Amino acid sequence: MTGWLGPLLVERAIRLCWLAPLAAVGLFILVSNAPVDPIEAYVGARTALIGPEQREAIAAAWGLDQPATTRFVLWVRNVASGDFGDSILYNAPVVTVIMDRFPASLLLVSLAWLLSFVIGTGLGIVAAMTPGSRVDRAIRAYAVVLTSSPGFWVAIILISIFAVGLKMLPSCCALPPGTTTAEATFWAQGRHLILPVVALSVTGIAPLVLHTRARMIGFLESPPAQHLTAHGASQRAIAFGAGLRHALGPALTVHLAGAGELFGGSILAETVFAWPGLGQATVRAATGGDAPLLMGIALATLLFVFVGNMLADIAARLVDPRLRWDKSR
Amino acid sequence: MPICVWVLTIIIGLTTAVSARDIVVAIGGEPDTGFDPVQGWGDYGSPLFQSSLLKLDADLNIVGDLATEWTLSEDKKTWVIRLREDARFSNGTPVTAEDVAFTYNTARDAGGLVDMTVLREARATGPLSVEIELTEPRITFIRRLTTLGIVPQSSYAKDYGRAPVGSGPFQMVEWREGETLIVEPNPYWFGGEVGFDRISFIFGDEDAAVAMARSGEAQLVAVPPSQADDVPDGMYLIEVESVDNRGLMFPMVPATGETTQEGAPIGNDVTSDRAIRVAVNQGLDREALVALALNGHGKPAFGPADDLPWDNPDAHIPGNDIAAAIETLERAGWLDNNGSGLRKKDGIPAQFKIVYPAADSVRQALALGASKQLKALGIDAQPSGRSWDEIPRLMHSNVVVFGWGAHDPSEMFNLYSSNKAGVATFNPGFYANAAVDAAFAKAEAADGFEASLPHWKAAQWDGTTGFGSKGDAAWAWMVNLEHDYFVADCLDIGRVQVHPHGHGFPITSSITDWKWTCE
Repeated sequence: MTGWLGPLLVERAIRLCWLAPLAAVGLFILVSNAPVDPIEAYVGARTALIGPEQREAIAAAWGLDQPATTRFVLWVRNVASGDFGDSILYNAPVVTVIMDRFPASLLLVSLAWLLSFVIGTGLGIVAAMTPGSRVDRAIRAYAVVLTSSPGFWVAIILISIFAVGLKMLPSCCALPPGTTTAEATFWAQGRHLILPVVALSVTGIAPLVLHTRARMIGFLESPPAQHLTAHGASQRAIAFGAGLRHALGPALTVHLAGAGELFGGSILAETVFAWPGLGQATVRAATGGDAPLLMGIALATLLFVFVGNMLADIAARLVDPRLRWDKSR
Repeated sequence: MPICVWVLTIIIGLTTAVSARDIVVAIGGEPDTGFDPVQGWGDYGSPLFQSSLLKLDADLNIVGDLATEWTLSEDKKTWVIRLREDARFSNGTPVTAEDVAFTYNTARDAGGLVDMTVLREARATGPLSVEIELTEPRITFIRRLTTLGIVPQSSYAKDYGRAPVGSGPFQMVEWREGETLIVEPNPYWFGGEVGFDRISFIFGDEDAAVAMARSGEAQLVAVPPSQADDVPDGMYLIEVESVDNRGLMFPMVPATGETTQEGAPIGNDVTSDRAIRVAVNQGLDREALVALALNGHGKPAFGPADDLPWDNPDAHIPGNDIAAAIETLERAGWLDNNGSGLRKKDGIPAQFKIVYPAADSVRQALALGASKQLKALGIDAQPSGRSWDEIPRLMHSNVVVFGWGAHDPSEMFNLYSSNKAGVATFNPGFYANAAVDAAFAKAEAADGFEASLPHWKAAQWDGTTGFGSKGDAAWAWMVNLEHDYFVADCLDIGRVQVHPHGHGFPITSSITDWKWTCE
């Protein structure tokens, strides 16, 4: 039964072994050549009050007085012993900075992922049941509109309708303003999740709708489906019965593989909703030239996307038994 | 269906009503490194958790905070300070001279955003008396005394910024980084009662903050000028004057082919002529620039420190006087003989570029506006949008739109002293005037801050020379930004200081006077 799982994991482990160092070198070259002066970015509005001697002291405190290659070798040596260094921007260990923010982002991304999966496949199946109908056309039009709407724009529209206009849902933060984590109720936290999750889920819905729809139409027109129809099964029973398993596998693969994109979208959503996740820290690290943090976040994201893709492959094999015997690769 | 109704009821029922003694403010200002004064926290606005030796009142006068007496020694290199007896940290331990000395010495060595390079050593000379010794006379060091918050020696550690303990008006309840800071009054604060049981600071982008004002979730919000005219119900707009200024920096020396160490060319043959610089100062219609670039939310600027105690109004020339500007140019030999609309002198056309950071819409509008206005004088100033990476290479030989503004006269020293010529972005135009340098030296060596003010003013204009527009006209200052806030009708934020460069957190300088005026 699981004879296929072992080789798959081994193959992926080998891939990670060359992918991660390659990504690290590429990233470091990008970061150290980026036209951002970390000290100037750090000093910011205080530029009139920080003299050149103090700038040198800051550079020395950050190790920026060393040449780039020395810094990279030092970084690799530290990472090999499990030390990802300190974020210069946050003045705290990189691992702490990431671990403080990752849960909030993961919650947002996974809920958005689930929501878009349910909505995307659901709409796709409904559209496929009556191709060419008004419902089908409305759903496809919706998908096209969503594809062409940037996530942050949707976020701003949602805020102006539900927060400013109707005053129904909060526009910001993970908790009601003025309450501490200990004081906040479960429902209060839930309310704050609604708008960010909806805004973020938009990115993933459209491709799923179109993909599921195409797969489902293909199935409904196939001999097995016609056979079931001939036996009196309704369109709905076929679509949500035998058809579901047929369309769900590929949809899951597409959606898990798109998890990285969702992670990228969360950067914008987090900024708009002041969500205390990793997305905001990424933007600050990039604009502030915080190399250690940026490298840490990039490697964490790499791992996240990598695991997402691996889960996609495993899920596809679980849902569709035919793939398990595919030894061609 | 019943479940939907149930969920909806809960959602609507939970729309939080903030009680009168709790307020939510969205004014940015989150320090990434945490609330550690040694790393630079507390420079603008209230340090919240800490108190400093001295502080600035609403009129920018220096008054005592932790210090009850402060005197400068005969050689002007040592501050002798006596501390108040009743100051305690929020953990209940008293503030001692040891804590003060520890804070200053740690800040000097920290490599953070506090420039303490002039500090030799701080020493506790008794339980409540401290001596702070400098390497040379430097009166503007008093600015450090007004901003550096004191940290407790016994509990200061690397993670202090995330769990600050200080002797200021507030203590931290929770900081969710990137989202919210919640503070409550420090029961041990020596200043008395604070008007609120809890203040929450919401971070995030400007649009989110304005949305919170419109949905009634926040009671004080920093608002960009473009949105300031649309005030939400139940709030009023306050417009705070600032020295957050923008001006044209002129290269002061002729182009001789000389370059900096990095190879950036130095000098400009047109702007090195004083007549051109004075004419620009005389010709600019700053009111029109305020209307154009700031949507009317600002005021004309004439010097680097308008309306601050060290500003010298006599150094300014009023501007918007095209006739006077043309006369200045004609008298200096800048003539338009062929009617082309472009003046020339000795074959050199009155032509230069105005470089501005392309991503900054305000500076772009100022560059375009100034260029248009100067055309009427027969000066061809071409706006040129560049990135911040290119500007350091261009700023020694081109006019650049820069912005400054601080509660510290040493900024003038940085901009106009010959010591700072070509150093970082200070004095990029290589301005040098021995009389100005001498005035700066006298100011820094003054007996006290009050006594230094006439020297700062003399550097601008002493009756015969100075860096101000009446003298060498080394810059043409254009506008001072105005910082706008939406404030709830029931919130009284007291008198507000003239703001420095930086919109948002400086509003908290009066935070301990804030009051809720409704029941």
